[in-house]
Amino acid sequence: MKRFVMGLGALAFAALLIGALLEPLPVSVDLRAAVTNNMASSGVEHPVTAVLLNFRGYDTLLEIAVLLLALIVILAVGIDTASDQPRTVNPILQTLARVAAPLVIVVAVYLLWAGAFRPGGAFQAGAVLAAAAVLLHLTGLLPSWQVPTRTLRWGLTAGFLIFLAVAAGLLSQGALLHYPPAQAGMLILLIEAGLTISLGLILAGLFLLLSREPGDDA
Amino acid sequence: MIWLIVLPLVWASLAFILGPGRGKWLAIGGLALQTVLAFDLATKIGAGGTAVGHLVGGWGAPLGIDLAADGLSAAMLLLTQCIALPLAVYASAYYKRDDAAGSYFWPLAGFLIAGLNALFLSADLFNIYVTLELLGLAAVGLVAAGGGAQQVAAALRYLFATLVGSALYLLGVALIYGAYGTVSISVLTPLVTSEAPRLVWIAGGLMLIGLMLKTALWPFHFWLPPAHGGAPAPVSALLSALVVKASFYLILRLWIGPFAPLIAAAEWLAWLPAALGTLAIFWGSWQAIRAERLKMLIAYSTVAQLGYLFLIFPLLAGAGAIQAGVMQVFAHGLAKAAIFAAAGVLIKATGQDTIAGLAGAVNRVPLTLFTFGLAGMTLMGLPPSSGFLAKWQIIEAALAQGHWPLAVIVLAGGLLAAVYVFRVLRQAFLLAPRNEEATAVSPLLEWPAFVLAAASILLGLRGVELMQLVGIVA
Repeated sequence: MKRFVMGLGALAFAALLIGALLEPLPVSVDLRAAVTNNMASSGVEHPVTAVLLNFRGYDTLLEIAVLLLALIVILAVGIDTASDQPRTVNPILQTLARVAAPLVIVVAVYLLWAGAFRPGGAFQAGAVLAAAAVLLHLTGLLPSWQVPTRTLRWGLTAGFLIFLAVAAGLLSQGALLHYPPAQAGMLILLIEAGLTISLGLILAGLFLLLSREPGDDA
Repeated sequence: MIWLIVLPLVWASLAFILGPGRGKWLAIGGLALQTVLAFDLATKIGAGGTAVGHLVGGWGAPLGIDLAADGLSAAMLLLTQCIALPLAVYASAYYKRDDAAGSYFWPLAGFLIAGLNALFLSADLFNIYVTLELLGLAAVGLVAAGGGAQQVAAALRYLFATLVGSALYLLGVALIYGAYGTVSISVLTPLVTSEAPRLVWIAGGLMLIGLMLKTALWPFHFWLPPAHGGAPAPVSALLSALVVKASFYLILRLWIGPFAPLIAAAEWLAWLPAALGTLAIFWGSWQAIRAERLKMLIAYSTVAQLGYLFLIFPLLAGAGAIQAGVMQVFAHGLAKAAIFAAAGVLIKATGQDTIAGLAGAVNRVPLTLFTFGLAGMTLMGLPPSSGFLAKWQIIEAALAQGHWPLAVIVLAGGLLAAVYVFRVLRQAFLLAPRNEEATAVSPLLEWPAFVLAAASILLGLRGVELMQLVGIVA
């Protein structure tokens, strides 16, 4: 009964929304033209990267803070220390993972570099790096993280701090994140390189900090 | 003004790098500097009489993101820093070394303050969503930190509420972007008219419901008492005093900003939040009167006090309503931070958290009881406290516009508040056998609470400057 009412409500809301969407919409602002016109001074050639790191870079800065924060929340909630024994795994898988990991790192670096002129960038590259860490963990080559050491904490935070430092440093240009067009490309690459490493660690951490060895109940 | 966002982000990150339980001096230093900056910004806006802005990236809306501070934002920023600084001193004494609950308090609190400051400064609907996420996630982390199963359950419920609230808000922003092609408030405001398509109405409704859920307005208050009542005292104080006010600020900002033409086209809409606010006052007060545990009493009192904020919506057409709302935000923020901090001291001193067990507390921690009494005065709305000023202004605006039922509700709410405040004070003043071992309490815990309570009273005497500042609305 409850499910039926919920379903009916959702259906009614969907119908209302579709009905509203069919109405003619008022004159609106077209941001595509603005993005295209300002691409030349953005320092990159791909519009998505330009929006993420330049036009709306401030949103991205806060989003990185949200990701870092998510990891801190997981640490703060506190996970009972699980046993850290490597699982018994297939040596063939381990060999394959050993071969794959360096390749994955090369792919990540390519994605980072490609972000300037085609789909790619720090988020994608970081995700690929994190996938490598997860792969190594699942094949028993990388233990799960219990309490991050100071070096690891630096690594997790470095990308965000570099971004923040560049953003605040550019206040000398008159505004937060106000890149001078000539140096914009280089600064964006610097930010993205830092973010790739930190995002890789953060995303891997979201998995490795929560990871349980089989047979653990905690 | 940009440093108000950058500074907390910096000290939060550095506190995380320093390691569990460390970074309190960074935090207190950073907050002291932020307080100076917030005062500076408020004086600048007060003297200039106009809003100030900052175009991030130098692009300007609609391509880039704008930050803007008018009198309302400046007042909220000032309140945030002025409450966070004493609470940081309090928290530095509250958490013992190696306390699991305090391990990550400083980074989480830093991101929380950064989220609040960024929210109050933002003039971009999507950017506001990001700040809401920062704020909500940090708040959930603080509630859950190192707690037992019950506390984590309360945090999960809070997480659910805050995520649903954010999702509704984001859906609204997406619809607005679909209709107008922009998320900048300054660009959007002239585009929205009373003949706006139904899509915009739906978007506005979704955003309103999402933000009400985050503000814990009755009947969306279900998550608040366990989360605020179960968290450690400094966290409860931060959440009750500031976090729920952020989403209220946003409702007010959108209500008098881009969505004003829609509200003007359907004036009855303003009575919806007012009706819910009335129910919140009575329901919250009733639950506070019946509560067994001290912190639950205070948490239900928050539900009730939030109700007053929503009484101002039908009065916004006349003068003084925004000022009345902001005065209530200040009064409740300062008083509730003080009262939660005082409750933390009482719990430490008596070793338990029921109201019945408070007997004789007056002999052990007289200053804290005095704090509790002062903050209680503000909650009841006795002169000369800021709570009195806030209630007076609501009543004045209500009578000026002929809405006398609102005035009656405010008076009745004040009486109910007196009942639950005196319940605690009466118990604390009872004579109790002095054979129990009293735990010594650090003055660093008692004095910040007293400062907050005293501020909530003294603000009543210096309310005029604040009123003038809030009058500068962009």
